[in-house]
Parts: sequence; structure tokens; C-alpha cells
Amino acid sequence: MSAYIEFKDVKKSFSGKPVLRGMSLAIDKGEVMFIIGTSGVGKSVTIKHLIGLLQIDEGEIWFDGTRVDTLPERSMAPLRKRIGMVFQSSTLFDSMTLAENVALPLRKHGGMRHHAAIEEAKQRLAQVYMAEYADRYPAELSDGMRKRAAIARTLALKPDVVLFDEPTTGLDPVSARRVDRLIRELAKTLGMTAVVVSHDPPSIFGIADRVAFIYKGIVHVVATPAELRASSDEVVQQFINGKSSGPMETPGF
Amino acid sequence: MNPDSRIERLGAAAVEAARALAELWMVYVSTVSGIVRGFTRRRGGRGRPKGEILRQLYAIGNKSLIFIVVTLGFIGMVMTYEACLQLSRVTGDYSQIGSQYIRLIVTDFGPTLTALMLATRVGAGIAAEIGSMKVTEQIDALRMSGVLPIDYLIVPRFLASVVMTLMLSTLGGAVMYTAGGLTAQYSFGVNPNLFFDLSLLEFHHFGIMVVKAIAYGAAIPVVAGFCGLRARGSSEGVGWATTAAVIGSSFAVIMLDFIISATALFLWGGDL
Repeated sequence: MSAYIEFKDVKKSFSGKPVLRGMSLAIDKGEVMFIIGTSGVGKSVTIKHLIGLLQIDEGEIWFDGTRVDTLPERSMAPLRKRIGMVFQSSTLFDSMTLAENVALPLRKHGGMRHHAAIEEAKQRLAQVYMAEYADRYPAELSDGMRKRAAIARTLALKPDVVLFDEPTTGLDPVSARRVDRLIRELAKTLGMTAVVVSHDPPSIFGIADRVAFIYKGIVHVVATPAELRASSDEVVQQFINGKSSGPMETPGF
Repeated sequence: MNPDSRIERLGAAAVEAARALAELWMVYVSTVSGIVRGFTRRRGGRGRPKGEILRQLYAIGNKSLIFIVVTLGFIGMVMTYEACLQLSRVTGDYSQIGSQYIRLIVTDFGPTLTALMLATRVGAGIAAEIGSMKVTEQIDALRMSGVLPIDYLIVPRFLASVVMTLMLSTLGGAVMYTAGGLTAQYSFGVNPNLFFDLSLLEFHHFGIMVVKAIAYGAAIPVVAGFCGLRARGSSEGVGWATTAAVIGSSFAVIMLDFIISATALFLWGGDL
């Protein structure tokens, strides 16, 4: 049986500098897959290809039996209803309240009227424990709250897959673990597939079903957190233990 | 440097410039398509937020009012003063100055100087706003929310800019003319009845003004929006976009001025 999401020999360069050099990865339906690796290795680039925010140079990307890397921009709307993304910097629109932010995809993708969309948005905010802040603006909230509101906006369309781009970066440890718990909870209760880009060990070992470690532009290892911890691969060990010296080649150091 | 490498760089720069021009054209076409879609869209479609055009009319028009009035007023005073000074040294005959001056204001100075001022204030603002949204991934978030960024961000600014450039050009021209008339009267004793003489103005002069104002008003948000959408990286990218927007939209105004003036000259010849 073919995988739910599949990257096949994907290559991508920026200004002539290769980032992905033939990356292949298969993700099953309903799992929480973490994509890890050092900064600049192409983790965020990988997931952005899936929803057409970036175009691959070579290779293939498949989602639920459909090849998606060849779809033109105008055909992306149905795909983006099924695959949501929580961006690294929350990306809430400052001029809108939280409810209006969450209502935006409901109105644009879902074609709902304003008042109905706002009511639905308040329910989505309640799912992430943010109902009481529905009428507040993003600037009035902490980073952790903004992140949860961004998750609510992504969940508004009840996607089958949610891509999380470093969801815990910049958060205090308590907020970070709450976001982790929320991802796990949503995956379990809504049955969605979660693809999480991260280099936060507590998240990786706390909630991942499987982990893909990207190194030198390819998937170096795919393993469960327990297998990863027990791995004898020196590069993997250096990364998960956060050692400054070792066999790993890190650009810029 | 190796000559081959120089040629390679030159070729790469030419390809990049051609690509940028093609992208700019696509932004313009998408903006026009977005306006058309705006008339045919169902409720809750993929377009602009409610009331956004009014907000942009206020941001582009009302907030530029004092800037335009003050700058064009001073330019009008300086230009008239210089013209009267030169005339006083040569013939001392001021009989034609007002009627020629208003003709120039209507066909050229009014819309062009207003647009150059707007290119700095409005162009920089649009590029900075859209550029910031680009580098913080808000544009991607819009796309993920089912919104077309050009419909959402550029179309309202485009419509507001076209309307307000026309209105501010008219106002700016009137201020230039009035300021020039007062300068001529108080500095050189030119009779106001002689200065404020509209007899040389013809209908096609106003036509040229309207065409120029609309063309400039359309060019500024498209060029600035395009620069904002090309912002990369972080704050440095936004800075680049802002600078490029001011240079690009000012250049577009000057180029359009040349093209429209040359076309008008071709159409009306000596009657212009």
C-alpha cells in the first residue's frame, strides 16, 4: 500500500545552492511525524513543497494518491483545504481579532457568511482553550497564545493533515509543552496526520510517532523516538545530545 | 576577472531583469483580473476584506493631503518666481505667464509632481507593509487561508490610488497655480486678472491630465506591491523592497510621463 504523503527523490536549490539533494520520505495516515535536523537543512522547505508554497526542482510529491507538485497555483485551493499549516511566526493578521483571523479561511475557503464564520471560529478557539480571547487582537497576547490561535485558524477547515513549522520555537518551556500536548491531543481526537518540523528534543521525544532526520539534503534516518535514542549513528547521537563537536558537518560553523 | 565570467554575470543580470519585468507584468495583469473578479464574485469569495478600499482611500488620499498641498505649493511659488525673474531680465512682459503656466500645470506638472510625491510616501508605505508580510510568512498564510494575495493586498490599493492620484493631482495643480499667482502678484506686481487667465486651456489638456493621473495612480501600487512581494529574508529585505519601490515607482512615473506626453504631441502637435 502506498503512503498517505510521499516525497520521492526531491531536489531543491536556492540561487544555485542545493538544499534538498534527493530527499525521499513516506508518511502514513494518522501519524505524528517529526522532521528534524539542523537550521538551514531544508526542513521547512520540505513541508512548504507539499502545499505549493515552494516549487521543487526535481522529484515527485504525492498526497492521498494524487501527485501535487505539478498542480498549478489555481488548483491548490482544494489541497490547502485538506492540508493546513501552522507557520513558525504564527502569522496572525494584526488588523483582525483572533475570531476574525480564524474566520478568514472559513469565509474564503468555506464560503461561509461573516457572522456564521465568527461563531464557528469561536468554537475552534475553544478547542485550543482560547475562547475568552476571541475578541482580542494578536498584539495583546503572548507568543504561546498567538501560537494556539494560529493552530485554531489552521484547524478551522478541519484539515486531514496539519503541518507545524517549529511550533515550540520561541516559547517558554511550559507553553511549549502545552503546544505539544495540544498537537498530540488533536491528532488523537480528530484523527489528523501531523507533520512537525522541530529541533526541540522534549517535543521530539514527547509526542512523535516517528522521526525523520534530515542531513546533507537527504533523509538520513527514519525511526521511532526510542530507536533514535538507541541509534549507534554518531551524527544522530551528536544531534539529539546537542554536542558542539562530532562528525556532523554544520554550515556556518 | 575572467572575461567569460564577466559575460556570464552580465547575461545572468539580463535574464534576472527580464524575469523581474515579466513578474511585474504578471502582477499588473493579476491586479486587473482581480478587479474584474471583484465585480463577479460570490459572497465570501477570495477577494479583499470589507471596507478595505475606503481604508486605502483614506491612507493614500487623506493622509497625503497636507504633504501634497505643502510641497506643490512651494514648488509652484519657486517655479513662478524663477519664471518671472527671467522674464523681468529679458522682456519684462508678464502677459503670457499665467496662461502658459496653467497649461503646463494641467498637462504635466500637476499630475507628474503629485505622482512623484505619492511615489515616495505611498509607494514606500505599500512596499514596507507587503514586504513585512512577505518576510513574516503572512502572505503564505493568506494563500493557505484561500485568499489571493494580489486581490487582498494590491487591488484595494490600486483602486484607491487611481482615484486619489486623480483627485490630488487636481488639488495639487490648483494649489500650484494659486501659490504661483500670489507669488507673481506680491513679488513682481503681476495683475491677478492677467495671471489667472484660463483662455489657453482646452478640453484635451484636461484629457491628458486625467490619462496621466490614472496611469500614475495605477503604476505606483503595482510597482510598490511587486517590490514588496519580492522581499526576501528579514528586515534587510524589507528595506530593499522599500528603496526599490520608491526608485521603481518614481521611474515608472517619469517613463509614463514621457510616453503619454510624446503620444499627446503626436496627436495634437503644435496645438498642445
